[in-house]
Amino acid sequence: MKIDFILNDKPVSLVTEPMRRLLDVLREDFGLTGTKESCGEGECGACTVLLDDKPVTSCIVNLIHVQNKKVLTSEGISQKPLGKLLIDCFDETNAVQCGFCFPGFLVSSYYYLKSEGEPNLEKIRTALSGNICRCTGYQKIFDSVMMACKRKQEQEK
Amino acid sequence: MKKVRKFDAIPKLNGTYKFIDDYYKPDMLHGGFLYSKCHHGKIKKIKFPPNFNRDEFTIVSHHDILGENIVPEPEKDQPFMAETEVMHFGQVILGVAHQNRQILKKFIDGIEVIYEELPAITDIEECLSNEENAFGKTLEVKHSADIDIKNNLIHTKRVYRTPHQEQAYLETQGMMAVFYPNDNVIFVRGTMQCPYFVKSALDAIFGNSITKSIVETSEGIGGAFGGKEDFPNIIAGITALLAYKSGKPVKAVLDRADDILITTKRHPSWVEIESYTDPITNKLLKVKIDYRLDAGAYQTLSPVVLSRGVLHASSGYAIEDCYIKGRLFRSNTPSNGAFRGFGAPQALFAMESHIDNIAAQLDIDPYILRKKNVLKLGDEFPTTQPVIENNLYDCLEKVLENSNYHKKYRKFKEWNRNNKLKKGIGLSLGLHGGGYTGNGEKVLNSEIKMVIEKNADINIYVANTDMGQGAHTTLAQMVDETIGHPHSKTKVMLPNTDKSPDSGPTVASRTIYIVGNMLRNLIKEIKKQLRFNNLEEYVEKHQDDFPLEFHSHFKPDPQVIFDDKTCQGVAYKDYSWAACTIEITYDPLTYEISVDRCWNVLDVGETVNPEIARGQVEGGVVQAIGYGLSEFFYKKGFGRKYGFTDYTMPTSMDIPKIEIEFIHTDNSIPKGLGEIPMDYPAPALRNAFLNATGLQIDEIPLTPETILTNLGEK
Amino acid sequence: MNFYKPKNLIELFEISEKIKGKKYFLAGGTDINVQIKNKIITNEPIIYINELEELKGIRETEEDLILGALLSYKELLDSDLIEKHLPFLKNSLCNFASPILQTMATIGGNIANGSPTADIIPLLLVLDANIILMAKSKIRYLLLNDFFIGYKKFNMKKNEIIGGVQIAKNAEKGYKTYYRKVGSRKALTIAKVALAGLKKNNEFKIAVGSLNEYPRRLHKIEDYLNVTTSPDSVKIEELLQQEITPISDMRSDKDYRFQVCLNLLLNFIEA
Repeated sequence: MKIDFILNDKPVSLVTEPMRRLLDVLREDFGLTGTKESCGEGECGACTVLLDDKPVTSCIVNLIHVQNKKVLTSEGISQKPLGKLLIDCFDETNAVQCGFCFPGFLVSSYYYLKSEGEPNLEKIRTALSGNICRCTGYQKIFDSVMMACKRKQEQEK
Repeated sequence: MKKVRKFDAIPKLNGTYKFIDDYYKPDMLHGGFLYSKCHHGKIKKIKFPPNFNRDEFTIVSHHDILGENIVPEPEKDQPFMAETEVMHFGQVILGVAHQNRQILKKFIDGIEVIYEELPAITDIEECLSNEENAFGKTLEVKHSADIDIKNNLIHTKRVYRTPHQEQAYLETQGMMAVFYPNDNVIFVRGTMQCPYFVKSALDAIFGNSITKSIVETSEGIGGAFGGKEDFPNIIAGITALLAYKSGKPVKAVLDRADDILITTKRHPSWVEIESYTDPITNKLLKVKIDYRLDAGAYQTLSPVVLSRGVLHASSGYAIEDCYIKGRLFRSNTPSNGAFRGFGAPQALFAMESHIDNIAAQLDIDPYILRKKNVLKLGDEFPTTQPVIENNLYDCLEKVLENSNYHKKYRKFKEWNRNNKLKKGIGLSLGLHGGGYTGNGEKVLNSEIKMVIEKNADINIYVANTDMGQGAHTTLAQMVDETIGHPHSKTKVMLPNTDKSPDSGPTVASRTIYIVGNMLRNLIKEIKKQLRFNNLEEYVEKHQDDFPLEFHSHFKPDPQVIFDDKTCQGVAYKDYSWAACTIEITYDPLTYEISVDRCWNVLDVGETVNPEIARGQVEGGVVQAIGYGLSEFFYKKGFGRKYGFTDYTMPTSMDIPKIEIEFIHTDNSIPKGLGEIPMDYPAPALRNAFLNATGLQIDEIPLTPETILTNLGEK
Repeated sequence: MNFYKPKNLIELFEISEKIKGKKYFLAGGTDINVQIKNKIITNEPIIYINELEELKGIRETEEDLILGALLSYKELLDSDLIEKHLPFLKNSLCNFASPILQTMATIGGNIANGSPTADIIPLLLVLDANIILMAKSKIRYLLLNDFFIGYKKFNMKKNEIIGGVQIAKNAEKGYKTYYRKVGSRKALTIAKVALAGLKKNNEFKIAVGSLNEYPRRLHKIEDYLNVTTSPDSVKIEELLQQEITPISDMRSDKDYRFQVCLNLLLNFIEA
């Protein structure tokens, strides 16, 4: 089946099995290995990408789901101003440990920053509750997202 | 102090940093493993699925092993692949490779193994409560004194139980192997803690049939926590055999279910503590500890875990008459292995819970008992090692102050009288010896290498990996800060056994504590030898002399003498210390515990990079909260968990506010940091529940189901 | 694995009719893909329905809200209509699964998967929701409580599909509401026990999840409470014994499930 979609702001097209996992297509066909497989059942968030601007776990999204839609991965987000702001905050707090879950956290945080953006700990906690991190204990991730929210507010002033 | 950022943070965030599954080679095959679904049995027949062309697959069994079918671990008893008999569920029988990952999976799923089933021990309680299952060496630690056991002493005897814990590193295990026939060299890259362990595994499995094996880690190592200490040996060995046999590069990455089912876990424990306490002085007079670990089917590195367990079993208390006996028990389950804490979390759970149980018997605040018995200057460990500082006492006092313990202890009692939700505060102490036990570091004889390049870059060659703990950033910092060199011009090279000397495994917090200090001493020596003030200027002036290469070996401290047989002497030169309080809210409607706050005061010596150090404590505490609250792998009658849906570790919604203070950071070297935050929170949590409810539950995790069962038995 | 992508409902019914054996409808895929991974689904035909406009969104009639089967949890939680008329439903579901899974998971999928743990069902049950069952030439409305007949078994004809659910706009109006979902942790969790309740004077509506082969209303207890003025906890416990059949599994224990259900029930009655 022919599948067309917008990948990181560029139109792409491929002929393949419609039931393939979006995760595999991103990694194998487009070499976008920032999207990671960890649990393979939507329970850890390591493979999170944005589908039409909303977060999805790409390990349980089929390619057919993205037909004529927009997909934004951590690679794409890291080129956007808010993505860069977030990366800077994660870097500054030394939040990143093994880093395997972080592209997923970047996507969820980006979604939060864009759609909500309030520097509110409880809201940030909830927004990130689909992403598991085994290294950091989450504290520095909260700090980073909080920092990014505040900086975004300052920029907008 | 200037803040040093991790060199790898940005590439990890934007997805360009490569983890093992991100490596790709043209012509590459995917590797997979057929493992036993039988707990114990003789292999009668292996039937391959008829609807596949077997010639498309490369298959290796124990027959293809060119060297020895034994993984070279502390205890050499585990085969790479089962021969005629499987000893546990999850034991690898075959390695299989094919160019298509999906077809490979279907083929392996289609293989049928016929077994003659043999009796098997799969239940933890059945394994640990029966002394007949003990195997391997018994360890004993004795600190004798003639204590007169009078009738008025408080006698307390209880059994404490802890479950398996899954490391649950987010990146599953994986290796890529390439065979170079012209040089007869096998090259393996992967996610691992110990490149030289993997190298020795390759040398064992190939014997003399290859000229050389080279092991390099992947750029990123997606978490390990001990889980990638020894199991990678098996994956690497078999993947390399597949590459050798097929003549093509082979990449084998486990999927999550397989990773959980077949790899090592934290040892379940059964610890009986019997104690006599003077009710007048609150002094612990005599303690006897029976410490048992479920090792699984093979000993592998369990004897080392056992040793650390018994050496931490009396926690941070001075006990004149102390006897600790440690034994491994056999079961037909995958061998348990290393996991952050390495025997100490089990030991501390038992002893720190026991202290609160004695306090409950004496009807005193458990803090009083701790204050009375905590290890102080002049005391001795059970090994007779003298205690040379009051730092654990300082941690205790500081955590009480920071968390406002005394006020809360009273306030919560009042609150609980008038409220349905119950609040509690619990206390625990923690300690962890840095580096290998006793003479271990002497035996390891670690070597490091440093190259100063023509452009004045300092390149550090060590075998220790950065699996997220920030070791490579911190090691570089230890070097550049010593001589005031730019951090951007100092880096640790990706560990490679052909280039990086064997500086020992990445375990036991020895990377910063041992290797970091070696690097510091080496750069000091270099500075002395070359007599420079500014390295960059010096290199500029003496361009022809560079690059320059320097090596150094570990210099053992002659004071560190330990008798492995009697467990007497200096077990660990430097201990890290900690004290912790945890506040919880308990809901009697649903029997659920919410962890509200966790206060930590630690003496881990110098914190080279304070932010990285905090990150270690925060992460360790959350793993320990999962251990205490919700994580278990096996349930009697229902088997094993195999995915993240059911293996429930803490999410961002389940964790408390974590407060951390490091003390005595300026009067000592960097000591062990990785393990200790995993060691002490679980008993503090358990003690907080006791404080909230008066209920003494001697096992974790404190799931609502466990709480209800214990309520019923009360 | 045969794959079909009907353009509209008419095509869907045509394709569906042609496939004689077992088939799966793919909506958001959050359950189906896990079942494929766990080899529960191996080679059965897949019919992709997630783009069918007829089954999307929320429609408002004079008295009801019609929630399309393809309504995602995210859409439900973001909906002003739901916020306005059914705030209890919204607030109870705000921690459904995870913020990420809410994007793809659909309410129709949650029902069709037939899991006893499905989060939305106890809520729909106390709201007296109807399930909308669509066939080629016929639509029928069935009280959701009558839809379930066994573990993953529905009161549904072969040629029917789930079109959505119908909820009266005033379904929760004037009622005191209660919802507790007890899982193994606070997010990304599957219910071990769930209890939803509405009450107004002596009128009680109570439904539970994860305690039977399918979520259901506790009619015997409701009937008892509707006539008594001073509920007796012993009597309630006795009735609950008849109403629920909790099991022990990897996630929880029979006794625990029973006891927590009873505690929550009494808590709701007293509240």
